[in-house]
Formats: sequence, C-alpha cells, structure tokens
Amino acid sequence: MPTPSTPTSSKRAFGKAAIWGGAFLLAAIYLFASRPLPLAEGQTAGRTIPVEKLFRILAAEQVAARTLWTAEIVNPGLQRGMKFDENWREADMQAGPLPALFLRETATAIQKTQVPLGLFLGSDYPIAQSNLFTGVQAAAFQKMRQTGEPQFFKATDIGQQSAMFADHVVAQGCATCHNEHPKSPKTDWKLKDIMGATTWSYPKDKVTLEEALQVIATLRASMGVVYDAYLTKVATFDQRPEIGEKWPRDGYFIPTRKVFLAEFEKRASAHTADRLIHILDDPTVSH
Amino acid sequence: MSQSPPPERPVKIAAYVVGGLLALAALAVLLLPQLERVYAKGPANTGHETLGCADCHIKAPGTPRQQLQAKAQYWLGRREADAAFGHTSVGNPQCTKCHLRDSDSHPVHRFLEPRFADARADLGAQNCVSCHREHQGVRVTAPQTSCKSCHQELDVKNEPILNGPSHQQLVAQQAWTTCLGCHDFHGNHKRAAQKQFNDKYSESAVRDYLAGGASPYGHDMKFPAKKGSQ
Repeated sequence: MPTPSTPTSSKRAFGKAAIWGGAFLLAAIYLFASRPLPLAEGQTAGRTIPVEKLFRILAAEQVAARTLWTAEIVNPGLQRGMKFDENWREADMQAGPLPALFLRETATAIQKTQVPLGLFLGSDYPIAQSNLFTGVQAAAFQKMRQTGEPQFFKATDIGQQSAMFADHVVAQGCATCHNEHPKSPKTDWKLKDIMGATTWSYPKDKVTLEEALQVIATLRASMGVVYDAYLTKVATFDQRPEIGEKWPRDGYFIPTRKVFLAEFEKRASAHTADRLIHILDDPTVSH
Repeated sequence: MSQSPPPERPVKIAAYVVGGLLALAALAVLLLPQLERVYAKGPANTGHETLGCADCHIKAPGTPRQQLQAKAQYWLGRREADAAFGHTSVGNPQCTKCHLRDSDSHPVHRFLEPRFADARADLGAQNCVSCHREHQGVRVTAPQTSCKSCHQELDVKNEPILNGPSHQQLVAQQAWTTCLGCHDFHGNHKRAAQKQFNDKYSESAVRDYLAGGASPYGHDMKFPAKKGSQ
C-alpha cells in the first residue's frame, strides 16, 4: 500500500524540482542565449561552387605548368647538357626534377600551406610501384580510360572529395624516358597516350569563390616554391647555367622565377579567368 | 577571567595552514610554466622533452561559452561543424611546424590519397600522431611490422639485396621486422640502405630505437627538426 505523502516530503520534492529546473534554465540560457556571438565555422559567406569545377581549373593549371616545365626546361635543357633526375635532391646530384617530380614537389609544397588540397600522381604502369593505382582509384582510372572523361568520387573514410584527370604523354621525351627506364613495366609509350592520372582531393563538396581563388593561388605559389628549389639547386652546380631572361632553347640558360612564372601565367590565366567567369552564369552556383 | 580555547582549535589552525599550502602548491603547478610537465598525460616522447604544452596544444577559437554554444548547436544539427572546447586536437600542422621537410619517403599527406584506405584503417597513417602517440616517452608507438599494411604486393625490379633473400622472399616469409633494418621510414637520415643482407641492423636495435634508444641510422639528418632534439 503506498504511503501517503506528508507536507514535509512534498516540500522537499518541490525544492528539488525547483533546484533542477533552475539549473536547467541556467544551462539553457548559457548555451542558447543569443549572446555572445556564435563561433564562426571558418567559411565566409558568399557564392559557392561545386568543388568539381575548382578541380577542373586546378587540373588545367597543373597541365599548363608541367607542359611548360617539360617542353621549355627539361627537353631543351637535356639537349644543352643539363641534367634532370628522379634523385635530384641528393646532395651529390647536379640535376633538376623530372616532370613527374615537379608535380610531386608541387604537391609537397601545397601540404606546407594551410590549404587542405591534395594532389597525387599515379598510373597503372608506374615506374615506382608505390604509384600503382589500387582500390577506388584503380576503378576510376579504368573508367577514365574507357570514357576519356575525368572521374569524380569521394574517399568516404576521410570525407575527401576527389577528382581524377588523365595525364597524357605531352612530349616525345616523356615517352622515350619511360620506355628506356630500367624499372618501367611498359616500354611502348607514345605521344598522347594516357600515361597515368592526377588525383586531387579537397575536404568540401562546395567552396566559396573566395576560397576557390585562394586554392588556385596556393597551387601557383607552390609551383613557384618548386621552381625556387630548382634555382637553389642550380646554384650548387659545377657548371651553372646563366639565370636570366633566356630559356634553355636559347643556350645554356634558365629563366628566373619571375620569367618562368610570367610565361606560365601567359599560358594558363586566360583559361582560368574564362572558367571563373562562366561559373558565375552557372545555375549550379549557390547564391 | 579569560576562557581557554577549546582543545581542537590548534588542530583546526594546522589544518587551515596545510590546506592553504596545498592550494598554493596546486596553483603554482597550474600557473607556473616550469611546472606544466607535472600535469602532462605522461612523459614526453623522444626529442620533445624541452617543448612546452602550448607548442602542440593550441587554444581553440572563441570563449568557453561560445565553444559550448557551438557544440550545442552542432548536437542539435543547427551547425555543420563541431567546435573544439578548450584546446584544438593536436594534428599534423603542429608536428610539421618543427618537422617540415622538403623530401620524405613516407610523407604523411601521401596517405590522404584515396587508395591508401587500408593504411588509414590499419594505422591511421594520414595522422602523425597515429604512429607517434605523444606522452609515451618513446620515439614511435606504431608496431615494427607496420610496413605490411601497404607492401604486401611488393614487386622490386632489379633486386638490390646482395647475398640474402630477395624483397619478394622476405614478403612471402612475412619478415616485416626486417624492413627497418635497412630502410629509415621517413628517409631523413643521410645514409644509403645496406646492400648486403647481413649488414642490416638487428631487430632489437631497431626496436630499441623506436622505443627511444640510440639511432642505428646515425645522427646526420637531412632536415633537422626546428625545435628540440632528434
């Protein structure tokens, strides 16, 4: 049989409820009252674009830079007696980075910034086995070989949006070097073949236009860092090429950072600006 | 006529003095940077002995109230990203402040490539702190056999090992404790991998090194850390 409640026990229960209610009320005010200002989430307001559009711009910028490096520095440089090697950073090596290494170094330079952009190079026939595509990238690469179209997917475990773009043989020197490399698993590369692919990753599916510009600027700055590293290495050569306005096609010369980047901008900026302007007219752009 | 104090009073006074001293000591431990190691989770890892807490533990943005409000909004689904409370979690940027390298044979960012999902699942290899868990008083916390997460299909052209099993044989034998006997994981020591199999460092020498002992790879670093010792 339930014990009838006494006035004292009712008072005690009321007191407890009041204390708990008050505590919840205070917690709710502390947690939800409109002051102080809400903590910013890190993304400024503004128009946003799907990250795929940013990846396309970045891929085109990268192709322009690497084509410039290959066709205007490496190939004519080799003809002038300059050296380019996969172990170019070794102290006793008087050489610059090969085209694939130029990309790898750019990726490393990006990682030293605060921009969470990933850039990777791989293939189904890589010289270094660590660059062999496996898993989701192998599947995307096969699809890209069949369709010729860039592939977009998500690395679900880390929430990274990813994009894969074909990496073509842009100069005969690339095919020759890969065909003759003792560790190459394929020896019949020819011009315009899809030799591999670049994979890009970013942790968001949408970026603001300001953020997109910052990422593009970071990629460009990172390419400049790699070119600087090459010039630093050149300074250690026994036979140093003259650094100035001229290019290896003119003789035993290499351009300054300013000249190299100006030529890159001449080749890449019109396309990038065009893409950005078209983005503004795109119905997928959020306002 | 004066009344004599109750007999328990001196005990009370002594208790107040002891309590006060204890409170002062606690305050000193909390406020004096020289004593911050006292409340660290554990001993600093190798080379990190001279670092201060703030070298790695960065204050989270906002006031505690803003942080709590942001968390509440996140739990209610009214905010996209969670907010840190007190300090942000220690991530790669804090490590690379000192350990930034122009070249690295296993740079941590490589493991963010989509295809390294297994290495991420096995080791969390995309985060420095997965293999170098701090406050353990050692150099490396990952097992000596970690190479197996990525190199099961190893295919080495022009086998470089002389007078010993090939790389493929070593993989077939699952001899994963031998890898670091020749290869320095980050490739940051100025040295070349041994060619003669018998010249490799012993398993115990490598194990001791990972535990914080002497380096069999030497002390001449390509990219020395900017702060602390190696």
